[in-house]
Parts: sequence; structure tokens; C-alpha cells
Amino acid sequence: MRVILKTRPRKKPHVPIEAEGIIPQNFLRKNDLSVYEGNRERHLEDLFFVTVEGPAVSPDQVEVILTGDTGRIKRVGEYMNAGRIIIEGDIGMHCGNFMSAGEIIVRGNADAWLGREMRGGRILCEGNAGDYCGAGYRGEKRGMRGGTVEVMGNAGDFVAEYLSGGEVIVHGDCGDLPGVEMRGGTLVIGGNCSRPCGNMTGGTCMVLGDPGELLPSFRRNGSTEAEFGGKKFRMAVFRGDVANRGKGTLLVREDLKSSRP
Amino acid sequence: MTQGILIKNAYVIDPLSGIRGEVMDIAIRDGRIVEEAPPGSQVIDAGGCLTLPGGIDSHSHVCGTKVNFGRYMSPEDMRAGRTSRKGVMHVTSGYSVPTTFGNSYRYSTMGYTTVLEGAMAPLEARHTHEEFTATPHQDMLANTLFDGNWSVMEAVRDKDVKRAAAIVAWTLAAVRGFAIKLTNPGGTEAWGWGKDVANIHDPVPHFEVTPAEIISTMIQANEILRLPHSVHLHCNNLGVPGNFRTTLETMDLAPPAQGNRQTLYLTHVQFHSYGGTTWRDISSKSEDIARSLNSKPQVVIDMGQIMFGRTTTMTADGPMEFKLYMLHHNKWSNHDVELETGSGIIPVYYSRKSLVNCVMWAIGLELALLAKNPWQCLLSTDNPNGAPFVKYPEIIALLMSRRMRENERKEIDPRTEHYVPLFALERELDWYDIAVMTRAGQAKALGITRIGKGFLSPGAQADVAIYPLKPDQLDPSVDYQQVMAGFSRTLYTIKRGRVVARDGDVVVEGANSTIWTRSRVPPGYDMGSDPEFTKKFDQYYTVRLRNYPVQDVYLPRGVCIETEAAL
Repeated sequence: MRVILKTRPRKKPHVPIEAEGIIPQNFLRKNDLSVYEGNRERHLEDLFFVTVEGPAVSPDQVEVILTGDTGRIKRVGEYMNAGRIIIEGDIGMHCGNFMSAGEIIVRGNADAWLGREMRGGRILCEGNAGDYCGAGYRGEKRGMRGGTVEVMGNAGDFVAEYLSGGEVIVHGDCGDLPGVEMRGGTLVIGGNCSRPCGNMTGGTCMVLGDPGELLPSFRRNGSTEAEFGGKKFRMAVFRGDVANRGKGTLLVREDLKSSRP
Repeated sequence: MTQGILIKNAYVIDPLSGIRGEVMDIAIRDGRIVEEAPPGSQVIDAGGCLTLPGGIDSHSHVCGTKVNFGRYMSPEDMRAGRTSRKGVMHVTSGYSVPTTFGNSYRYSTMGYTTVLEGAMAPLEARHTHEEFTATPHQDMLANTLFDGNWSVMEAVRDKDVKRAAAIVAWTLAAVRGFAIKLTNPGGTEAWGWGKDVANIHDPVPHFEVTPAEIISTMIQANEILRLPHSVHLHCNNLGVPGNFRTTLETMDLAPPAQGNRQTLYLTHVQFHSYGGTTWRDISSKSEDIARSLNSKPQVVIDMGQIMFGRTTTMTADGPMEFKLYMLHHNKWSNHDVELETGSGIIPVYYSRKSLVNCVMWAIGLELALLAKNPWQCLLSTDNPNGAPFVKYPEIIALLMSRRMRENERKEIDPRTEHYVPLFALERELDWYDIAVMTRAGQAKALGITRIGKGFLSPGAQADVAIYPLKPDQLDPSVDYQQVMAGFSRTLYTIKRGRVVARDGDVVVEGANSTIWTRSRVPPGYDMGSDPEFTKKFDQYYTVRLRNYPVQDVYLPRGVCIETEAAL
């Protein structure tokens, strides 16, 4: 089954839409979904042209395609547990919150909190991602716990904050403090970043670009070899965050001498 | 405002008026219970449902700086308990530390009309009063902290009870407080020096007074001032294995009852009834505590029941929160209030898999079941320390149903039964006991029956809760699920003669009042003109004495209970 949701033109296109109802399992049966436009509750049909093609007997046969002006739609795929969502353009904040299975593909850019506190499944963002990609929400001790988030472009600050399981891969650059408070899981940064992994207690972070000056609370612990994008790199291994009695692993390029604490 | 209300066919339990379950009518006029309703009154048919005086919580933390700190250090808590705007109801959020309106609506739908804030630092009273006005469906009272007050400790050191009483009188009137609260007396001040007091005979650094001296002096001062409530005490050594000895010693300090009222109110005693020496061999000493309580009519306690799940602990007991922080290594906040007190806050999770938590859970219930007189053991969770107050219905059901306790026994750590006597207790409380433990007992202990709280006979304030429970058709020991559901949501909550909540929804904008006390003292004991007292403000406080008192504008509807001090 394929569900195509094309946004209708809106009088006030800047008013955000909260659409936690847009998940494959909700389209299995014909039911009346509602979304919020600002503080107003709306029917899904009021904001989208809805086209349904073909049948489905289980949610994993459902594919939802979002097209049009989708950059202000928040919470798409929240608590999703099967199926696939394809977003042809940009997507708003909190896409894939708490998702446990299934797949989300974003062809454009994603706003902040992509895959926040995700438990499983896969998110692929072909453009850039905003701040707090794969992070935990404010005050939460554990962020993403499982699954994969892959960003082909750059990501903002605080990528994978409180990461405790799963994998976050950013092919481009990250902003400040990626992997801060990490407890487990894997974070791979293909480009540059600054101050990675402060306060980490577990997990592994690999930075293939220039991480700038490392935080002083990481201790050198030998070298190793790593592979990324078909290339092999000599990596310096650091353990930390020592200030937090952490047992995390931070790998940085051996040939970039600027990055020694 | 509705002129009058006539409640017909109500199954009334009103312990203070001696009504133990009678089907009768209740007439209300102009916010008071009267003999006969005026013509044209609104008629509510209770249909034989349980009708009680409005609920009173005698120890809860819902307003003030530390509650607010709990709010902003736990943004994750705000993700729970969200409700959207509905009629007159504001948006609310939060579970263990909800927004003020959240607290107010939830209390109201449970039939509570009066709440006592358990600890208000005098210096930060303005904030507490501001939040009181934003808790519009309950009349509020504020226990005022004196546990580490420098002037009080100096008076205690000089063995000058009258001066201590004068300081209390001035401060209560200045900050619009209701009663004396002592939280870990001396301990929080010692914590300012990085120490704690190990027992009630351990001196506080610099002041060289012991907690026992502070407690005894404050009890005497309280009686000199003839305050409506007694000293409200959070004992030393909260949450320390083996602390039951401290609690028993403290209970021995209570002098004989003054008239009809207790002389010492011990709060959240569950946290003070631990045997053993470490967390590994912690055990329940509820039997010892209950034995002492049963022999001392001058003492009233509240349970401080914990319930499993997530919550936030907050108390003026700074050192205790630090110990908890060392166990959990999660977020922690610590706060010092100049010459007065301190506080600490951490979020916690009480787990059924933790033996310690299971023992704590059992102790609270044991206290309520072992106390022979329900007027002496009141129901509370020390909201939100033991659990958010929305768990009260579940606690009521546990107390009323042995079967429910047995069912819970299967869920918790199987070793628990070797450490606690709970599962040997057959007692099941009845509707009357619950009515005492949730409103009448509180009204009596707080001394607010004089302003018409806690009963339903003519002259009382028209605070009424009608629950969808039919006591003659329901066996609480079997139908505990219904008991729980019934106490969670009233059919009608009436406050001061107005229906404020119906079927779980609040239906009017509230207008609460704040109840405070003023003791008239002879001019020689007016601390406002005492040079030594003023010097404290000039030398150490960040505010001057003249700027310290809370202005009337902070209490739009203050109700003052005046007493004549015997100075």
C-alpha cells in the first residue's frame, strides 16, 4: 500500500504542523487522523491531498510518501514501529521520535531532533540534519537506544547527545559537542567537528575529519586501524571522559597532529 | 455564585460530627453548611454515594522555590501528564512536579479542597504565596521553616523560650506562615559546614545546641503562642538505616497533649522507621514506632508512603539529598537559604525490583495498619517525595484490601517478606478510617476545625466531596479496583459552596484563600523593634528587616487565625 500525502497550499505556511499521527500503522485502516496546525486541531485531509494506492494487510507493507512544503511538519514517524516513510523534501523537527522499527528516508534536510530517543529502525537523511540529531530530550538521561541514523550531509550541534545504543553516522561535518554525555552505541563523523564526546562514559566515537583541539580529559591509549567509505585510516585511540570516570573510546586521525590534548 | 445547594441522598461519613455512614441531605448556603437550603437551590442527587468533607492534605510540596527548582531541573517530567486546554481549565503538564494548575486540578478532581505546603523558607515566602494564588482550587497553608534559623538557635542556646516564641510570632506574621516546621533540626545548618547531626544529641557547629534542645524549645514556644497546629517535625536522620532509634527518642520529647490537640506532628514517618545498619540489612521497625505512637496520644504522624514509579524528592533536608545523590549519581540540586535553612532536590525511581524500595513501601502501609487510632496516623506520600499525590487512591485501596496487598506481594522483590511484617497484618481499614485519615484527622491535627474545615455539620465551610462509590453495595476488600477509581475522580467537588469539579473536570475558575496565623504578643516581645534581631538583617541578610515581610498584595484572599500569646 502506498499513501501519498501532498501538502495543500496554506494561508500561513509558517505555522508549524504537529503530525505525530503520520505513521504507517495508522493508514492500515481508514480512520480519521487529526493533526495540529499551530494550536488548531485539523483533519489530515484539510492540510494534505491524500491518495491511497493498493491494499495492505500489515503495517510493514505501508509506505507513506510526503511531498510538497513539508519543512514545517513536526513529529512525523513518532512511535513508528513498521513500514516506511519517504519525505521528498525537507522535514520539520522531531522526525522519528521514539521510533522502534521501520524506515524513514528524508530526501531533503531534516530539522533538529531527528531520531530523538529512537529505539530501532533506520533513518536516512540525504541532506543536512539540524541540532540534537539522535539525541535525548531535555533532562532525559538516555538518548537514542537502538537503530541507525545516517546523515549524508552535515549535522548541527549536540549530535547523539546521551547516545546509549545504536549507530549515528554523519558523512559531513558536525557542530559543537557531538557525542556529549554518550553512554553507549557508535557515533561516526566523516567530517570535522569540535569538542567531541565531553563527559562520555561509554560507547565509541570515530572522527575522520579534524576534531580541533580535543578536550583535555581524554587519555591516549595506543593506535588502531579503521575503515570508512572504502578507505583505511590510522587512528589514535583515546579513552575517556577521564573527568567522569568514563570508559568510552574516541578515535581520531593519527595524521592530524593538531588534535592532541 | 450559586445561592444554595441541596445535596440529597448522600451517604455521609463525617467523623468530626460523629456521623459514621448515614444517608442524609446536606444544605449549603453562601459557602457554609446550613440546616435548610434556601428556596430555589440547585439540587444534587448523590444517589447514596459516599459523601465526605473536602479532602485535606496535611503535608505536600506543591508551591515554592524548591518545587519550582524541581520543575526546571526535570524537563523530562513535563513530558508526562500533559492535558490540553478544556473549558476553564488551563493547559497542564508534569507528573511528579506538575504546573501549579496541574496540581490544583488533580487535587480538585480527587476531592481535595485544602492543602498544606510542607516547607516554606521564610525568606522565599513571596514566591510560595504567588504560587498559592495560582493553585486556585485549594485553600493553602504554609509550614514555615525554623530548623536552622540563627536567631532561634541563639535563643535556644540562651535557654530563652520566650524569645524563641517571639521570633516565631514575628516571622509567621511577617511571611504569612501557618505553623512551625522543623526539617532535620540543626542538620541543615550543620550541612552548611559540610557536616550533619548523627543523632538528636549531636551539637550543631558554632551554635552548640542539639536538635533535641531545638525541638523541645520550639514545642514550648508553639504552646506559648497557642498556635492552631503543633510543631510539624521532619525528624533527623531521614532515610538512614537504623534511624528508628532517633525517631523513638524524638517522640519521647513530646509533652502531654494540650487540650484536644497533639503537641508534636511527625511527618513522613515511613522514612524514619528503618532498622538495620546499612542498605543491605535494612528492615522495618514500624512495629516499634507504632507501639510508641499508640502509647502517646500527644503525637500525630503521617505516613509518607512511597509508591513504585518515577518521582522527584525535594526537601529542606540538604544533607539527606546529598546522600541520595551519592547513591544515584543523577541530577542533584542543593540550595542554601541565608540564615534560615537549605534544601536539596533529586529525581528518583522507586523500583519493585529494589529490596530497599520494597521495604520502604511496606513500612508506610504498616504504620497505617498498626496505628490503633486513625486520628494519629494520617495518609500522605509527602508529595512528591514518596509518590505524587495522584497515587492516594491506590494507597487507600491497599489499606482497605488485604487481597490487593497480597497481589502486590507477587510483583515485588520476593525477599521483602523476610524484612517486613506487612503480610502478616490482617487489618483492613474501613470507610470511616479513610475519612479520618484523609480529612477529619488533618483538620483536627492542623487545628483548622475552628474555621470550619473538615466536617459537615451546620456552620462548617461547604467543602464537600461526593465520590462515585456506594459503601453499602461495595466490598472494598474485593472491589479494590472500584475503590481506586472512585477516589481518583469525584462526582462533585464542592468548595465553599460552589461546584468546582464534576466527573474529573474542573468547571469554574477558582478563588482560594491562604490561611495564616498571627499571635498577638506584648509590645516588649515585638521582634520588629528588637535591636539584636534587626542587626541580623543589617549584618547578614541580603534584605533589611523592613523589606522582609510579605505584603498583603501577595495574599489576595488571606484568612488570618489570630491567637493571644501567653507571654
